[in-house]
This record gives sequence, C-alpha cells and structure tokens, in this order.
Amino acid sequence: MYGGDEVNAIVIDLGASAVKAGYAGEESPKVHFPSCVGAITRDKDAAEAKANGGAGDARDVEMAEAGADASTTPKKESDAGSKSKANGSDATRDLYVGHFALNYRRENMEVVSPFDEETGLLSDWDLVENIWRHTLTDRLHIDPTEHPVLLAEPNFNSKECREKSLEILFETFQPPAVFLAKNACLSSYSAGRPTSLVLDVGYKSTVAAAVHDGYLLQKSVSRSRLGGEILTDCMQRSVESKGVNVRPRYAFKRTESKQNKGTFDVKDLDDYKGTTTESYHRWSVEQIVSDLKETVCRASENVFNEEEHANIPTVAYELPDGTEIQVGSDRFKVPEILFNPGLVQTFPGAEAIANPGGLPMQSVTSLVMESIARVDVDVRKELYNGIILAGGSSMLPNVRERLEREVLEQAPGQARVKVIASQNVMERKFGVWIGGSILASLGSFQQCWMSKQEYEEKGASLIHLKAP
Amino acid sequence: MSWQSYVDDHLMVELPGGGKLSSAAIYGQDGGCWAQSAGFPTLDADQAKVFVSGFSEPGSVAAGGIKIGDRKFISIGGIPGECLRGRKGAAGCCVKKTNTAMVIGIYDEGVQGGDCNVIVENLGDYLIGQNI
Repeated sequence: MYGGDEVNAIVIDLGASAVKAGYAGEESPKVHFPSCVGAITRDKDAAEAKANGGAGDARDVEMAEAGADASTTPKKESDAGSKSKANGSDATRDLYVGHFALNYRRENMEVVSPFDEETGLLSDWDLVENIWRHTLTDRLHIDPTEHPVLLAEPNFNSKECREKSLEILFETFQPPAVFLAKNACLSSYSAGRPTSLVLDVGYKSTVAAAVHDGYLLQKSVSRSRLGGEILTDCMQRSVESKGVNVRPRYAFKRTESKQNKGTFDVKDLDDYKGTTTESYHRWSVEQIVSDLKETVCRASENVFNEEEHANIPTVAYELPDGTEIQVGSDRFKVPEILFNPGLVQTFPGAEAIANPGGLPMQSVTSLVMESIARVDVDVRKELYNGIILAGGSSMLPNVRERLEREVLEQAPGQARVKVIASQNVMERKFGVWIGGSILASLGSFQQCWMSKQEYEEKGASLIHLKAP
Repeated sequence: MSWQSYVDDHLMVELPGGGKLSSAAIYGQDGGCWAQSAGFPTLDADQAKVFVSGFSEPGSVAAGGIKIGDRKFISIGGIPGECLRGRKGAAGCCVKKTNTAMVIGIYDEGVQGGDCNVIVENLGDYLIGQNI
C-alpha cells in the first residue's frame, strides 16, 4: 500500500532525552537533537504587536538554526508551512528547537520538555508539534504529505496520548499513513529477536518489557525511576561536594595567555547573571556532567564495595573551563546505582531528587525479574535466554556482564541466562529507531499502516485496534 | 438474523489486508455456544470463565494464557473491560466482550493481527449497541 520500494517512510523516536528521526531502511537516524526546547515567554502586548494573520494570541515558531549567527532576534519562518495557531494560554512563547538553537544562551530562555513529569507521557502538544515540524521540515526537508510516518511510543503509552498524537499528525502534517509502534517491539526487531525481554535504560526512567513474536506483552511492563538523569544528578552532587564548581560554557571565557603560549587564562563572566534562567543553567551544567559520566564511569563487575574501590587509581577529566578533576570510586559508585538504588542516599543532598511520578527506585535486576514473572509461564525460559539491553544509559561499560551475573543468581536453576547488548554504539543508542527503520521497510508490514482515509472515516480510536 | 449468519457473513469474510480468519465464534459469557464456524476449537465452560474474569482483571490471563479448546495463546494484553488479545507464533486471537456474550476470532499465518482486531471488535461494538 504505502512505502516499500518507491516511497520511504519516516521513522521518528521522540524520547525523554533526545529526538531521533530519519528514513526507514537506513542504518541510523539522520536527525538527532535534544528533545528539550528553549522557550522565551513574550509578554502579551509585544505578542499582539507581532501577531500575524490577525489572530489575537499567536504562537510563532522560531527556528534559529545557526548559533554562529550572532543576531539574537529569532528569524521568522517565511514558508507557508509554519502556521500561527491561536492558543488558550495568556503568554505566548518563542520556541528554539535543536542543538544550535538550544546551546546559544538567550535571555530568559527556559528549557522545557514536552513530557509530563508525573506520567512520563507527552503532554505539551504545542511543543510536540513544533518538534515534529522542526524534524520534518527543517532537518529532513521533506513534504510530510508524501511520506508515511512511523512513531515510536512508550510501552506504557495511554489511549489519550496515542489518539492525540494521531490527531496532531494527521490534522497538521497530513501524512498518507501513520503507525504507532511500542519501543520494546522496535528494540526487539533491532536485535533480530522476535521474542525477548527488553530492558531500556533511558533518561528519565528504566523500563523492562517482554516481547513475544514481535508483540508487546502489556502486563509485563515495569518501570523504575532510575535512569540517566539520576546517574548524572548523583555524579553532579558528588563532584560539587568536593568543592568543584562546574561552570557552564557561557559563564567563562578562556583565552590563551600572552606570556606563556599553551596555557590558558580563565575569566569569569557575569553579564549572564540575572537574565539566565535557572532551568537553562541546570540544563547546561547537566550536559557537562553527563559527558563526564559517559567518559569515566563503568559498572563494577561485582557488587560495589566502598573500601575495595577506594584503592582504585583516580582518572583525570578536564572540564570545559580547564579545571581538571580527579574521579575515584565515583566511577563505579554512580553506575552501581542501577543495581543498588539504596546508594542514591549516600550522595550529598540526594533527598532533593524529585520523584514526581512516584515510580519505585527499583534496581534493574529486580525490574527484569518482575517483568518475567508477570508473563505466561511458557514464555519465561525464552525470555531469560534473550534479555536485550537498550537505551543510552546502558552503554556504560560492564553493565551487560554485571546484569547477566545478577540475573543468573536470581533466575530459577534450569534457566539459561543471556543478556544481549550490541557492541556497536550506534545500535545501542538508536536501537528503537533502527527497529522502526526495519519494521517500516518490511514488505509484510505495509498492510498494517493506518491510512489518512481510515482516520477520517473511523477516527483516531481505530489505532487501538490496528496497532495494539 | 441468526447467530450463525453473524459468524458466517460478518466474521468469516475477506479482510482488508488479505486472507480470512481461520475460525470465529460467538459464545455467551456463561460458556454456551451461540454460533461457531467450522474448525473452531470448542470452548469449554471453564475456559469461558477465565475469559470473563480476564476482561476485568487481565493479569489473571497474563500468566496462564488464553486457552481456546486445545489451542493456547500467549496473552499480549488488550483493553481492560473490553477485549483480550493473544498471539502464538504467526497466529493469534481476539476475544471481545459484549454485554452478555463474547465474540472470538482466531487467525493464522498470513493475516494481520490488526485486521482480526478490527473485524471482531467492530462486531462486538455493534452487538453492544444492540444491547446484546
């Protein structure tokens, strides 16, 4: 029907940390940028003066592409594709989507996420629409009416969310067909195994879900609050408690000293103070600490023991402002949180870590065990034999070996335990997207799309039948 | 309209994606058979009871699976209070709850799960609308 040889479908995976998008059939996503968006609230008078089309409260979408372009006034989109929509809120916002736009510090720019803190599902639909528009028009440069769209969705996605996604896609972008696929199913396709237990260690949460013959077993979905965000947070607390001030890139200026070539002078800037929002500051620092975590951390092969690891030689890491810090047992302690959540409390100030959704701080091992326990007894053996590690945060070295060892200890005696994790960095980080790329190019999948005509005739709720 | 014609003319028909259900039936929630197609593995009363409790509590079928006669499907979930869906290899089933009955469809290789869901659940919704 659609796709196949002539027309490529577009696959979009909108995760809590990053958006991955590209053409079906390709090996990796062409488009990859943070899913957080910069937003500057304009006051009402200025907004009305700027409003076009006569609509009173208009929301303009500004995509400032080149950060190198030093002008701080956002460029208006000139093509007809950008629509001004009247909205119900009091203030309007200028939105800045993508790496370049977000990394350029703007006055009063807040960093907002389209996801709801409590449920973990998409809730800010204006942001979502802008993210999709940025992906399809600005980055992929396609006409959405020509390409079917495959969206990756959370395993625990709600009915309302699914219908709303469909509504926005079909009404605003009008693709010929749409499909929603669960993350776990896509990870499973990506690994080439139709039946597996997918452990997705993501940013805001970790989700374990069983997939059988390409279908998600709904009851098996378990979630934990642990994820990349908490690991980075704990790393930050640890580093700061040792007296190091992690300065975001806009807070200092490094110049090569004139007297001694090769050394650098660092000057604190203060023109940013007062106009930079708390959320932007936090986001900027988080990017730096996240890189630190990804560089130095590794999971311990055995249960982490503070005394033993105290003797390990420290590793040096240079922060962007030139400060060199030494990281010692934290290298192992931070990833250990995944296996022993109790360790979070040992980091200074950890009580402040928010848990708005009330998700349990469950270790990844117990997530896996719980998920398998909820599944049909006939399938369990096959699941133990095929545990797939997915998600950016699973890329820390040794996590695979450690998980295998821990699950082996807890699994029933006869079970063969195997944890599969792709060696290829791209495949692990983009596993869900790659699965979507595979699924959307399968000949047998082409009958499964929900077409625009079906949407118009039967409404968004048809998706629950077509894509269970 | 007889129950048998519901099964023959509304369930065992050519599907949009190609192929047909391999068998289908309409059973009362007490386990009584209202109509079934040839080849449908007959449901016994205990199995029907499992479905009925499974509609409101899907967790109970998650561990034991969906058993229809001598065929067993792995429960992939469904919509609580409305339907149960199962898979086994390339085959699968959909059990839709109406007020007093259950519409059941089984498909084998070559048919998409989505197509089975649509045809079974649409008939179920129609029956609900007729207060059946």
